Amino acid sequence: MSAQTEPLTVKDLNTESPRWCAGCGDFSIIMAVKRFMVDAQLTAHETVNVSGIGCSGRASFYIDTYGVHSIHGRAIPVAMGLALARPELNLFIHSGDGDAMSIGGCHLIHGVNKNFNCVFIMYDNELYALTKSQTSPTTRKGHKTNTQPAGSYLDPIHAVSLVLGIGGSFVASTADWMPDHLTNTLKAAFAHKGFSFVHVSQRCPHFDPNNFDHKTSSWFSFLEDDKGIAPDKRLVGKTEVVKHDPTNKEEAFKFASSERPYFGLFYVDPNKPRYDQILINQTKETPSQPIADLFKTFKI
Amino acid sequence: MSKENLKVSRFELLMDAGFGAQKAGDILIRAFAHMGKYVFIEPMIPAEISPPARSRPALSGVIVRTAEFDLKNIGNDTDLIIAQHEIVLDRRLDDEEYSPDCKILLDMGYKASNEDSYEQVCKRASKNGINVYPFELSAEAQMLIKALGGKGRNMYYLGMLSAIYCVPEEFMIDEITAIFGKRLAPEVYDKNIKIFHYGHEHASTNFQHSYEIAGKPSDDKDRILIDGNTALSLGLIDAGVKLLSGYPITPASSIMHTLAKVSPSYGGMVHQAEDEISAIGTALGSYFGGVPAATATSGPGLSLKQEFIGYAGVAEIPIIIIDVQRSGPSTGMPTKTEQSDLTAAIFGAHGDHTKIVIGVGNVLDCFYAPAFARYLTEKLRLPVFIMSDFIMANSYKVIEKPKTCELKDVDDIPDYILDHFWMDRLPDNIEMVRDIQANPGTPGQMRRVTGLNTDKSGSVNYFAKTNQRSHAVRNEKVHHVQRALRAPELFGGVEEGELLVVGWGTTRGSIAEAVHSCQDQGLKVGGMCFRVVYPLPLMLKEIFSKFKKVVTVEMAYGDEYKRTPLAMFLRSKTLVDIEPMVCRATGRPISPQTIENEIKEILK
Repeated sequence: MSAQTEPLTVKDLNTESPRWCAGCGDFSIIMAVKRFMVDAQLTAHETVNVSGIGCSGRASFYIDTYGVHSIHGRAIPVAMGLALARPELNLFIHSGDGDAMSIGGCHLIHGVNKNFNCVFIMYDNELYALTKSQTSPTTRKGHKTNTQPAGSYLDPIHAVSLVLGIGGSFVASTADWMPDHLTNTLKAAFAHKGFSFVHVSQRCPHFDPNNFDHKTSSWFSFLEDDKGIAPDKRLVGKTEVVKHDPTNKEEAFKFASSERPYFGLFYVDPNKPRYDQILINQTKETPSQPIADLFKTFKI
Repeated sequence: MSKENLKVSRFELLMDAGFGAQKAGDILIRAFAHMGKYVFIEPMIPAEISPPARSRPALSGVIVRTAEFDLKNIGNDTDLIIAQHEIVLDRRLDDEEYSPDCKILLDMGYKASNEDSYEQVCKRASKNGINVYPFELSAEAQMLIKALGGKGRNMYYLGMLSAIYCVPEEFMIDEITAIFGKRLAPEVYDKNIKIFHYGHEHASTNFQHSYEIAGKPSDDKDRILIDGNTALSLGLIDAGVKLLSGYPITPASSIMHTLAKVSPSYGGMVHQAEDEISAIGTALGSYFGGVPAATATSGPGLSLKQEFIGYAGVAEIPIIIIDVQRSGPSTGMPTKTEQSDLTAAIFGAHGDHTKIVIGVGNVLDCFYAPAFARYLTEKLRLPVFIMSDFIMANSYKVIEKPKTCELKDVDDIPDYILDHFWMDRLPDNIEMVRDIQANPGTPGQMRRVTGLNTDKSGSVNYFAKTNQRSHAVRNEKVHHVQRALRAPELFGGVEEGELLVVGWGTTRGSIAEAVHSCQDQGLKVGGMCFRVVYPLPLMLKEIFSKFKKVVTVEMAYGDEYKRTPLAMFLRSKTLVDIEPMVCRATGRPISPQTIENEIKEILK
């Protein structure tokens, strides 16, 4: 490992211009990642951004670190390989609602359960956008898309409830239009050692411009606690702030299953075992044998 | 007992699953090997764990071929069978793999309530000209088996085989002790040994025939007894592969099992993924991080992995994919063998795709293939397949302890490995689609990979010329291998003649034996098998042109209108009218005799 000589700046992390639509929430999300990296002075060349396919998938190309823009739904398996092979690297996963909850749903379950060390950012614009407006697992019921033109048939899967249910060790939700809250959430997620699930409500100005009313705040609440994430400074006083101890799982479920959206840290468990650590330690702690002994037990 | 001296013999032990036929096989071959005889063993394993006893699917057994000379395959027909009851025998007679004077020792212990069934099967055997020798376990042995809750019958059969094949009892007991000594309670162990003695005594007194195969008891410390999957597993360790990422699938799982036990001692680990796709994804993540990784699977898993395999080639992330082929298509026959994944390996994944395919034909290939695969995948940054199959994976063989190389930097790969696969060293500085290929942690070299088309700088680009260039660069990597490949070894050095028999992978032993035998009989027959199946060496057409006819032997389906994978591929490469000579998708290995008969038929 080699240290960066100059302090890291946001400019250092810029690459070619992202090919996203004007007003896309993805710009804010990668900006928050960059801001967090600068605040924490992470070493860019010791950071890997891994992504799947979709608008969010391109994120790994727009941050000047190492990056894997993998295949649809499969960012988690690739990141797992990096976590096992290079545990010292800073690892971020970028995945959309279709990528994480539909085609990659099985990987999400096992990534959360294996609790390997990474920050998982779920870009939730509640539809498939890069393929031009189809219903996703998080599309709200009744919303018209090209595959369900009469309005999406089913109630959406609630990502936060799902991840809490499968035993997430760090479960937070934030939104792309609250840069401070988003950056602080990433900070808390990075500080947590394990699979840090960060749900981000993300605007899609092209296919669902009226979905998240980012100009008003009365429709959602913040969760607050000393062990949690501070409510967005700009919005304090404009909406409800609720006290919630993030080690209280039962209460976390209550907030997650509420009709009203909550942003903040739902749950954290710093003691959940980490599969990556277990495997790595097992290898480290096994006395090594010389290659000359490879056939020892096969001799006749 | 009258003793007959034989050069080679093949026998079988057929039992219900769960009664210890496989363990008995392990004990037998170790004893044979210690006595200096050569052995080749093929287990017959049901696809289910424990099918109902006395049912046809319950057949679990071992086929053992033993000889005074080195064996390269499981041979032709069986000379002697011990069967636990009539149903497993009946099932096995279906395969028609018995010699004309095959002797069947049939345990009559289940006859009392199955008289008709026994009678029918005995009739069937004698109709086929096979002699059935009925026997019953001695009363003392039956008492002991009862005391053991029905276990221990395999020890009786082992005792019988040890008498029939003139293996001194102490050799067998040493092996029984090595396998069971520590695992069984002393009184249980003692009962097993007693049953073994009763079996030995039974055959010595009641069975007229015994056979002796020459061999000198050996305390040669440099010989090992190993199966294909274990050799591959140890080969991965020697090749410096640190992560094996897999998902349970027959018949590849035992690679995961072996490495889960062994690899931590050599700095490696095994990851059991949530599915086949994830398994290869994690291997790719590791290799992107600069840590060599492999995934092992079989047919259905290969189908699932194809998108990531295509991605690996485009993203230029090295990856080793082991495909232990089983009988397909779809779920097929999980514990039977076939070679028909070749097309999925060569041509699988959508779009024009580039990769390298290695076929293993014996346990030594299995041990060397991972280092060779690592060399190729890291030099070329293309996916590299190691194609094995059920028979290769599960057949045991005694070999000299192979050389180890503890591969670190692939440029240091020893010549003996390249020579083994008949390939010259690849040139330095092979062009990549992207200029930057650094591993994370390297300052100023931020490598970002994608499945999208990119230019040299790594930037996503949909321009006509750039895309054409990417294809050219990826294909040129394969052409480098093509140019580096030497002519495959021709069996017996026969370079011209009437007929050339071509194969790849696991059929090599049978093809070699058949071709050598025909050559010894004065027939103008050549034979060769590829160790690298894709791409093929450049001089093939020239080699083929020296034979009047070129045919293939493949464990794959083919007929008048449908060519087998290798035949199809060779025709397209050489425009030689290559026909599949033996193309079978029976799930059983192809015997040397079958090949020899077909050769003679063609040359008639």
